[in-house]
Amino acid sequence: MSAQKKRNFKIEAFKHRVELDPNYAERTWRVLEHAIHEIYNHNASGLSFEELYRNAYNMVLHKYGEKLYTGLVNTMTGHLKEIARSIESAQGGFFLEELNVKWGDHNKALQMIRDILMYMDRTFVHSSHKTPVHELGLNLWRDNIIHSSKIQSRLLDMLLDLIHRERTGEVINRGLMRNITKMLMDLGSSVYQEDFEKPFLEVSASFYSVESQQLIECCDCGEYLRKAERRLSEEIERVSHYLDVKSEVKITSVVEGEMIANHMQRLVHMENSGLVSMLVDDKYEDLSRMYNLFRRVPDGLSTIKDVMTSHLRDTGKQLVSDPEKLKDPVDFVQNLLDEKDKYDKIITKAFNNDKTFQNALNSSFEYFINLNNRSPEFISLYVDDKLRKGLKGVSEEDVEVVLDKVMMLFRYLQEKDVFEKYYKQHLAKRLLAGKSVSDDTERSMIVKLKTECGYQFTSKLEGMFTDMKTSVDTMQGFYTSQYSEIGDGPTLAVQVLTTGSWPTQPSAPCNLPAEILVICEKFRTYYLGTRTGRRLTWQTNMGTADIKATFGKGQRHELNVSTYQMCILMLFNSVDRLTYGEIEQATEIPPSDLKRCLQSLACVKGKNVLRKEPMSKDIAEDDAFYFNDKFTSKFIKVKIGTVAAQKESEPEKQETRQRVEEDRKPQIEAAIVRIMKSRRVLDHNTIVTEVTSQLQSRFLPNPVVIKKRIESLIEREFLERDKADRKLYRYLA
Amino acid sequence: MHKLGRGHRDKVQQFMAITGSSEKAAVQALKASDWHLEGAFDIFYSQPHIRTVTDSRHLEELYNRYKDPYVDMILVDGITLLCNDLQVDPQDIVMLVVSWHMKAATMCEFSRQEFIGGLQYLGIDTIEKFRDKLSYMRSELKDEQKFREIYNFAFGWAKEKGQKSLALDTAIGMWQLLFAERHWPLVDHWCQFLQVRHNKAISRDTWSQLLEFAKTVDLQLSNYDEEGAWPYLIDEFVEYLTENGIVQRHQN
Repeated sequence: MSAQKKRNFKIEAFKHRVELDPNYAERTWRVLEHAIHEIYNHNASGLSFEELYRNAYNMVLHKYGEKLYTGLVNTMTGHLKEIARSIESAQGGFFLEELNVKWGDHNKALQMIRDILMYMDRTFVHSSHKTPVHELGLNLWRDNIIHSSKIQSRLLDMLLDLIHRERTGEVINRGLMRNITKMLMDLGSSVYQEDFEKPFLEVSASFYSVESQQLIECCDCGEYLRKAERRLSEEIERVSHYLDVKSEVKITSVVEGEMIANHMQRLVHMENSGLVSMLVDDKYEDLSRMYNLFRRVPDGLSTIKDVMTSHLRDTGKQLVSDPEKLKDPVDFVQNLLDEKDKYDKIITKAFNNDKTFQNALNSSFEYFINLNNRSPEFISLYVDDKLRKGLKGVSEEDVEVVLDKVMMLFRYLQEKDVFEKYYKQHLAKRLLAGKSVSDDTERSMIVKLKTECGYQFTSKLEGMFTDMKTSVDTMQGFYTSQYSEIGDGPTLAVQVLTTGSWPTQPSAPCNLPAEILVICEKFRTYYLGTRTGRRLTWQTNMGTADIKATFGKGQRHELNVSTYQMCILMLFNSVDRLTYGEIEQATEIPPSDLKRCLQSLACVKGKNVLRKEPMSKDIAEDDAFYFNDKFTSKFIKVKIGTVAAQKESEPEKQETRQRVEEDRKPQIEAAIVRIMKSRRVLDHNTIVTEVTSQLQSRFLPNPVVIKKRIESLIEREFLERDKADRKLYRYLA
Repeated sequence: MHKLGRGHRDKVQQFMAITGSSEKAAVQALKASDWHLEGAFDIFYSQPHIRTVTDSRHLEELYNRYKDPYVDMILVDGITLLCNDLQVDPQDIVMLVVSWHMKAATMCEFSRQEFIGGLQYLGIDTIEKFRDKLSYMRSELKDEQKFREIYNFAFGWAKEKGQKSLALDTAIGMWQLLFAERHWPLVDHWCQFLQVRHNKAISRDTWSQLLEFAKTVDLQLSNYDEEGAWPYLIDEFVEYLTENGIVQRHQN
């Protein structure tokens, strides 16, 4: 490599140093020092900014920054000490005023000084990592004024005292307060927190602890909550006026803790004014206040919810078990609906439509409605009542509202299959007696049930409607056909019911009067003539008849009676007197029904078309019956007989329940087989759980019944026990 | 046999060929010896029912002695005679064991196949040999496994032909008999309970599960598990015992 000699040109640093005359530095500093004095003495107007700036600049330039800085610190400190003395000597209320004024002065001075020393701030301070001028000024203020031993505690005490006074009702100088607290904030968040906020929170805590203790002894729940709410808003207002915004959440949690959280249980359970009495008396405002206050504290809302739930369950339990209330099913259900309405309103108006409260309401209702096993029957009776007459004159929207509310209760039922059975019975009675207020309303109800439970639930019900309609058409056909020439014999109206759709009632056919038999046979011939493969059975226990009767003085009345009663009365066309035994023999009506019919024909005032000897209410074998010539009624049309659906007597209830239980067995078995077919091998407890969950939309199966069904399936070789583990069952294909 | 793997099947065949035993005995012995042929032979020959060759003529004679004149079966009279010859009470439980060996379908009758086949299996062709075997058969009741098999067999054997369940009276009789052999102190309460509360026939499941119950649950019912999938009759029995103070259970 050939070394080419390079000629390097170097530019030599300027070696000529200009030394500043040390005296010059001192003199320059004096100028600045003097300026600072003047500034603090409010004499700044005579100073030249430009000159002072230049001086400071020069000092820094000539490396006297340190001297300048140190001088600044000393000078400022000196002044601040003086200021401190003047503040300390202020009396009473003037203390804060003086502090405030001096603070203002200091800030103004600081600004000017900073401007003058801007160059130092930017260069020397920066490179030597010293505190910048403005911050330095604040720190010096803090150290010499705020933390001065004679000022520090006095300042805090004054502030806290003023706040206390304001809390006890005095008016204080909020502007001054704001300035002071702002000063503390400006000095740094740790100053604000340590020198003010922390003690403030502690003092507040004990203040509210004392106050809440006093209030709870002398106030009722509503009053207390009102006061607590007021205190809370006061504190929030206080913060907005003269405290740091970050203090808000801290002080509110102190108030919440002392006034609410610490006394929650006592408030809620307060006698005669606590949560329970608020619920009972529908005190929406108080409840709303309680909700809003309690939601601020942990477990607040759950406390309210739990107390509400247990109260609701107790009330509900009473509603469904009180024997007085059970006498009238319609009232029973109305009470439930009213209770539900009440609580819906409370939750909407006072509890902000809170979902957890809604759920608590639902689960409580579900709990106590099912405590009474007649609830399904009663709800059906309620609907029956409404669909018969209760909704006459009510507008369509209102009808929908009532039915929707009933559906809510229906959803709570565990034994929906029991309801289905009763609904069918009641519907059948309504349809056959022509007692429905409106066909549309009936159908609307069916649609609601279908939406809730699926079409299987309602397919039979719809079948009933179809039968009714078809029967109308059939009757028209009959009367236009050849079969219906009767002259002036009785007129027949037939409803043909499909066996599977209608509730089965064992029908013991009775002996119909001859005239009736004739027309019945004609109908049968007509009907079977157009439809093959069917069998008709007259349901004499379900029919009605209108009879024209003439009494002793020639009064004519039209009697509306049941078919059985018609058979009985027609007997008196040929004889005047009959004993019970004779009537029984002639009509072949089953004894229990016969007795009831005779009672309603002979023992009821205003309806006694028959006379009975003896006049007792009970029917004995030898009792004699006479046609009652002396019968009178102000109505031309007299209705005797078909009674509206009533709540069942004990034996009837037992029977229905038995039938329901019988119906459940195949459903349980089907569920077991379904589950085992897919899972193949399963242990006992899991089967029970699965079956229960599969059937829960219809009823709650009894685990003992499930067990029996399993054993029956083992017997019939659908399942077997596992040889090794006796708790496992195996599906046998 | 179709449940066995190929290797096992071969061994069973071999075993049967060498010892002349039945398939059941072969499988039993092999299982007990963990499918080692040598071990199986040991087990087999150390057992008393060594398969001896029986004289089929003698067997025919025996059968004909007891067979009913009109039907090709041994019926009640024949059995009475047999018991006489054996010097055994017809109600003696050993007859149940005999029936079990014969795989009899119904009590109080043996078909030709059952009688002859059973005796062949037992290696019996004379009354004397039969009598000698009786004490061995009695001892079989002491074996846990065999007792269970005999117990479960008893259900099908004691019930009426064509019925699924066992009539209560018969069941009670059988239980009295069986639990005399394998003592269960609660048997009398059980029978009483059934007569008072149930009064209907007994299902097979209930029958077999009762033995499990008697074996596993102690007399104070302290280890009775309500969630234990016991048949509902047994659950009711436990309730009955508790209600009547026969047993004090700590309900938790």
